[in-house]
Amino acid sequence: MMHILIELAVMPLVAFTIGMFMVLMMRKIAAKIQRRVGPPLLQPLYDIVKLYAKKTQSSHGLLHDIGIVMAVGGYIAAETMLPVPGMNGIADKAGLLTLAYVTMIPSLGLALGVGQCANPNGSIGIARALTAMLAYDIPFVVIIFGASWFYGSNNLIEVIAAQQAGGIASWGVTKMPLLAIAGLFTLYAMLGKQPFEIYVAPAEIATGPMVEMGGKHLGGLFVMQCFQLFTASAVYVSMFLGGGENWLFFILKLFAVVAIPMSMAFVFPRYRTEDVLAVVWRWPMVLGLAGVWLVMH
Amino acid sequence: MSTLQSIPVVATKAEKPSGGTGNLLANVFDELTAFCRSRSLFMLHYCTGCGAIELPPAMTSRFDMERLGIQPMVTPRQADILLVTGYVSTKTLKRIILTYEQMNSPKYVIGICSCTVNGGMYWQSYATAKVLADYMPVDMYIAGCMPRPEAVISGLRELMANIRAGRSDNWRDYYRRYDHYLGNQQRLFGENWQTPTDVIGEARHYGQFGPETLGEHTALLERHQTPLLPFEMRLGLGGEKTGVENKGDKR
Ligand code: SF4
Repeated sequence: MMHILIELAVMPLVAFTIGMFMVLMMRKIAAKIQRRVGPPLLQPLYDIVKLYAKKTQSSHGLLHDIGIVMAVGGYIAAETMLPVPGMNGIADKAGLLTLAYVTMIPSLGLALGVGQCANPNGSIGIARALTAMLAYDIPFVVIIFGASWFYGSNNLIEVIAAQQAGGIASWGVTKMPLLAIAGLFTLYAMLGKQPFEIYVAPAEIATGPMVEMGGKHLGGLFVMQCFQLFTASAVYVSMFLGGGENWLFFILKLFAVVAIPMSMAFVFPRYRTEDVLAVVWRWPMVLGLAGVWLVMH
Repeated sequence: MSTLQSIPVVATKAEKPSGGTGNLLANVFDELTAFCRSRSLFMLHYCTGCGAIELPPAMTSRFDMERLGIQPMVTPRQADILLVTGYVSTKTLKRIILTYEQMNSPKYVIGICSCTVNGGMYWQSYATAKVLADYMPVDMYIAGCMPRPEAVISGLRELMANIRAGRSDNWRDYYRRYDHYLGNQQRLFGENWQTPTDVIGEARHYGQFGPETLGEHTALLERHQTPLLPFEMRLGLGGEKTGVENKGDKR
C-alpha cells in the first residue's frame, strides 16, 4: 500500500523533470535549425518559477482557475497509469483506452477555462484545439485497437512484458511497422507543433487558448506542456519500442521519439484547420487501417 | 533636456531583503525568484516607431536574445517587459497605457529610441507624446536614433542586472503615485479618460497603496467614471442596427 502511494507521488515528478528537459531539447533544436545558440540548460525551470512568482494575477473567475487545474491534473493522472522502469503505479488497473480518455481531460479543462476569459482569440483557439483533437484521436484509437489486438491486451504492463520477452525482434515497431509509422505521425499531430500548430498560431490568433493566461495560469500551462511531451512519448515507447528495460534506455527512447517530429517541425509553416483534418484523416488513418488489417490476418 | 542627468528615469531603491537575518528560507526563496525573474523575460514589443526594425536582428541568429532567456510573447498577460520602440503618438499612447495596465506585475517598461526619452526629432510635433516616463514608470531607456541591436542587448542585460539586484521595482511606482501618472494622462486625453483596469482597486488589493495613489486627478476620474458594462451582443439582420454598444467605452 505504502509503496503505491510513494509511486503515485514520484511518477508525476519524474515525468515533469523529464518533460522539462524535453522542452529544453525542443527549444534547442529550434535554435540550432535557426543557427542560434538557444536557451541555457535550466531555462524551462526559470520560466516556470518566474511565472509562479508573479506578484499580481489576472484571474477571470473560478472556471478559469479550475480549467488550469484540470489541464494539469489530467496529465498527472495519466502519469500514474504509465509504467516506467521500476514503477508501475496504477497501470495494472488502467489500459490504453483509459489513457486515451484521461489525456482528453486537459483539452476539455482548457476549453472551460478559456470560455470564461471571454476573449474571441481564445475561443477561436479552443475551437481549433478541439478540432485538432478530433483529427488525431480517431487514428489514435485505430492504432490502439490494432496494437491491443496484436498483444491480446490493452494493459500496458502486459504489452511491455510481451515486447521485452524477445528483445528488439518482438518490439511493436518490428512486428507492426505500419502501425508504428501511423503512430509516429499521430504523435506528431498530438504534440501540436508546426505544421499542426493551428490552435497556438501566435501571429494569427495570439496563442489562442493562452491569450488571457498570465502569471500562475500560464505557469500551469508550461507545466502541462512538460507533462504532455512526456505522456505522448511514453505511450509511444510503451506501445512500439518495448517500454523501458532500464532508465538509461527508457530516457534515450523517450527523447528520440520527441526529437524526430521536433527536427521536422521548425522548418514548416502552418496548415489551415481543414488541412489538418484532411492530412491526419488521410495518411495515419490509411496506414493505421492497413496495419490493423495486417495484424488481423 | 539639455544634459544627460535631466533625462527622467524613475529610480527605486533596492528593496530590503525580506526577513532580514531571521528567516533563512525566505531569503533563499527571494534570491531564487529574483534570479529566475532576471533570467526569464518575456517581452511584448509594442512596435510604435522606426526603432522596431532593430529588434528582429536582436532576436534572430545574429544576436539571439533567447540565450539570455528573453523571448517574444504576443499578449500583455504573458509579458514581463513592455518594449516601446520609438515615437509615441497621442493615439498610440492610449493603447500603450491599456496594454501596460493589463500586464501582471512585476513588469518592466523599456523605452527604445530617443523619441521615447524626450521626443527626439518629433519634438515639435503636436501629436506626439514627448516623455514616456510622464505616463508610466520607465525602467530603462535605450537611446539612439535608432539604437543598434548591440545597444538593445546591452540595455536588456543591464535591466537583467537591475532585476537581479532588486533595483527595478518601478511597477510599484505606478500604484503608489497613480495620481501623478493619471494627471499627465488626463492632460493629454481630456478629463474623461478612463481605462478598463481598476488601478486603485489593485493598489489596495496588493498592498501597494501610497499617499499619492489618490489625489485631485483620481477624484476627477471618479467623477467622470462610467462603469464598464459587458459587451451587448446582438445578431442583426438586414436593416436592423447591428454590432456592439458599450456605454462605458469612452475611448
Ligand atoms: S529615435 Fe529616430 S529611429 Fe527612433 S523612433 Fe525616433 S525618429 Fe525613429
